[in-house]
Amino acid sequence: MLLYNVRIAIKSLRRNPVLTAVIIGGIALGICASTTFTTVRHMFARDPLPGKSSNLFYVRMDNWDPHTPYPSNQNTTGPTIPPQISYRDAMALMRSNLPVRQTAAFTAMMTVYPDPRVARPSTEGVRLCSSDFFTMFDVPFAYGGPWDKRADAKAEQVVVIDDAMNQKLFGGANSVGKRVRIEDREFTVVGVLKPWRPFIRMYDLNGNFIAQPEPVYLPFSLTPGMQIRTSGNSDGWKSAGTTFEDFLNSDVDWVQLWVELRSPAEAEQYHRFVDGYVLEEKKHGRFERPLMNRVTSLRDLMGEFGVITPQVTAMAAISILFLAICALNLTGLLLGKFLARAPEVSVRRALGATRINVFLQHITECELVGLAGGALGMLLSIGAMKLIGKFISATSVIALDSEMILAALFLSLGAGLLAGLYPAWRICSVQPAVQLKV
Amino acid sequence: MEFGPIIRALKRNKVRFLLIVVQIAITLAVVTNAITMIRDESVKMTKSSGFDDDNIVWVRTKPFAPGFKDLPYRIAAVNADLRAIQATPGVVAVTNTNFLPWQGGGSSGEVAAGDGDGSKFRTQMYYNTPGILDTLGVHLVSGRILRDTDIDDDPNSKAPSTAIISRDLERLVFKGKSAVGRQLKDSDNTVVNVVGTFDPFYNPYGWPIHEYAIFYAGHVSRRGAMYLVRVAPGSMKQTVPLIEQRMLQTNNGRNIDMKTISEIKDNFFVQGRIVRTAMSLVIVLIVLVTGLGIVGVTAFSVTERRKQIGTRRALGATKGAVLRYFLLENWIVTNAGLILGVAAAYGLNVLLVTNAAGAKLDWRFVAAAVVLLWLQGIVATLIPAMRATRFSPVIATRGA
Repeated sequence: MLLYNVRIAIKSLRRNPVLTAVIIGGIALGICASTTFTTVRHMFARDPLPGKSSNLFYVRMDNWDPHTPYPSNQNTTGPTIPPQISYRDAMALMRSNLPVRQTAAFTAMMTVYPDPRVARPSTEGVRLCSSDFFTMFDVPFAYGGPWDKRADAKAEQVVVIDDAMNQKLFGGANSVGKRVRIEDREFTVVGVLKPWRPFIRMYDLNGNFIAQPEPVYLPFSLTPGMQIRTSGNSDGWKSAGTTFEDFLNSDVDWVQLWVELRSPAEAEQYHRFVDGYVLEEKKHGRFERPLMNRVTSLRDLMGEFGVITPQVTAMAAISILFLAICALNLTGLLLGKFLARAPEVSVRRALGATRINVFLQHITECELVGLAGGALGMLLSIGAMKLIGKFISATSVIALDSEMILAALFLSLGAGLLAGLYPAWRICSVQPAVQLKV
Repeated sequence: MEFGPIIRALKRNKVRFLLIVVQIAITLAVVTNAITMIRDESVKMTKSSGFDDDNIVWVRTKPFAPGFKDLPYRIAAVNADLRAIQATPGVVAVTNTNFLPWQGGGSSGEVAAGDGDGSKFRTQMYYNTPGILDTLGVHLVSGRILRDTDIDDDPNSKAPSTAIISRDLERLVFKGKSAVGRQLKDSDNTVVNVVGTFDPFYNPYGWPIHEYAIFYAGHVSRRGAMYLVRVAPGSMKQTVPLIEQRMLQTNNGRNIDMKTISEIKDNFFVQGRIVRTAMSLVIVLIVLVTGLGIVGVTAFSVTERRKQIGTRRALGATKGAVLRYFLLENWIVTNAGLILGVAAAYGLNVLLVTNAAGAKLDWRFVAAAVVLLWLQGIVATLIPAMRATRFSPVIATRGA
């Protein structure tokens, strides 16, 4: 029966190709617009680390000027608290053994010296982090792996490089154990990453979070010895002194601290630990502002840091309304098309077809149109998303994931069904006797 | 006018016309809010920095030669670069600075008037060599520009530093009095001598300090020297490679990155450009789709009423009268849609303002969209209605 209905529907669609093209084109436009913009929003909104983002917590502390609060940023909705913490506080909090894993981190620019026969020296983005960083943020390795805890403790000269850097330095071969000079020291490669380009750089939401991850990773513990300064944001409200030592001991905020905790209860416990630390520091004349510390899950942090801009949401909403227009339009066109067929349907009814038969046959035609429009719309939206991805950044990729393909399929079937219900009902309730009178 | 018969005819085909009413209402809501979003982004994008953006290029050196660890070496390299860049054909002005417009941020700090009540004001703060105003294309309002002798390269110096400030910062801190010859204190209580003020200055920042700036006399070299270079109008293409070549001739212990301010600005406004393109496309398509819908429904009601039209023609109605009937019918339906649509537009706007992007609807956009949809209704009805006028009165005499 279904097959029969499909055959009849195709016949009917082929009878008036122009009208069919208009109908399918309309649905395709609606599906294209709505999938494109809901997907763009989805790329920002979706969980960057499924199953993990509620266990990774970002630590913030209000060590700002006693007289004026940290200036609030117009793009974020969270509390007015410095977005990063100071080096000395990060080091102190890292002594806690409450977290399963933890990493202090920042980004820096450092000079990498390849074999002079291969390439000129170049300045590269480097992430300073601890070995837990790679596990916490699901960083994929092609060769080797993270350095070990001993390397963290002893500030060993080990390095992890990404796929592109490995191509450049070692021609893409397994380079674990090879050596590379960074600044004035020799480093041993312990791990090489697989190509890795998360849409959102979730481990550092400060600054440009749609940027590409850094190509080079070094132990955080090298910071004091090599006198590495951040190339990311740093916020201060009083003098940071002149020496590097002074800078590390100052209240300048430039370090990000992530901790992995197993449950909300543990997060609560960790928060109390941070509060306790600050209360202790207050006795030594630091943290003169009212007690305010934040231990925020990655999931909540994305909201606070304004990862999804209001414009992205507004465009998604408007594109859904656009689909609604396309569906309404389809209803109007189908109504005309179906009712013009009243005499033909009346003959079928007179020959014994039930109302249900007629109804199902017309709904089949609507769904066929919906599916065809949906498929065409999805193809169009793949193109549109490529274009928008290029717009956002040279390496950003916006792609339909299974969730969005399902959503698009559901939307096109839904649009076909909703649009077709009324016309199909009208045509199946036509009185055959009136139409067949000569 | 045939209001009576039209209303009665509409009542008999409620759903069909209701479809059009709802479509027009949603169309109006979407079009007005889309225009508002476009306007919102355009206002941000067309706001002028006051600088000669099109002719400025940002140059950043990434040194790798070990000599750059040493401060005197770095300062000498900066001075050599400044001379080499200035001597490059096509270059108008150059400055060594950590200021870079159109990134949505920069560096900032707090200052207070040296002899004031101690209230602090947050402002953007940058270091630069004297060429800064000529490079940006900004003019001196009062006092004097920075001089090479104002620069103090000693990192441990406790002597007051020298700076010029933007006119808006002068107004903010000195309350309408001249800043020239006065002093500022920064958060370390370091004294800053203000020697001049300049205007205009606008650099969008994460905090509302877009118009406030202090330009300190100083060199920027610690993490690689950075320069802004202004070139003669239209000579960007030829001059950029020349600058790189000359700088490497001066010192090749480093790599050089160059980006024009136009590129940086484009990058900063990515979202705005996406919003503008996408929303313009949505407006065009939605008007087209709704228009097609009106054509479809009118064509259908024309076909359905062939007999009635023929009868009216046979009874003496002119072609014009038939055309007028359909146009009037559509006009009534369109107006119903527009009334509903104005309500929907404001409703959607409230939803968007509270949950997403935040500009209030401007009544002029609503008025413009109403006119647009009226025109659309007339054009879309004319196409099938013209066909109706061609029905011959003879139809009336034939059987079904």
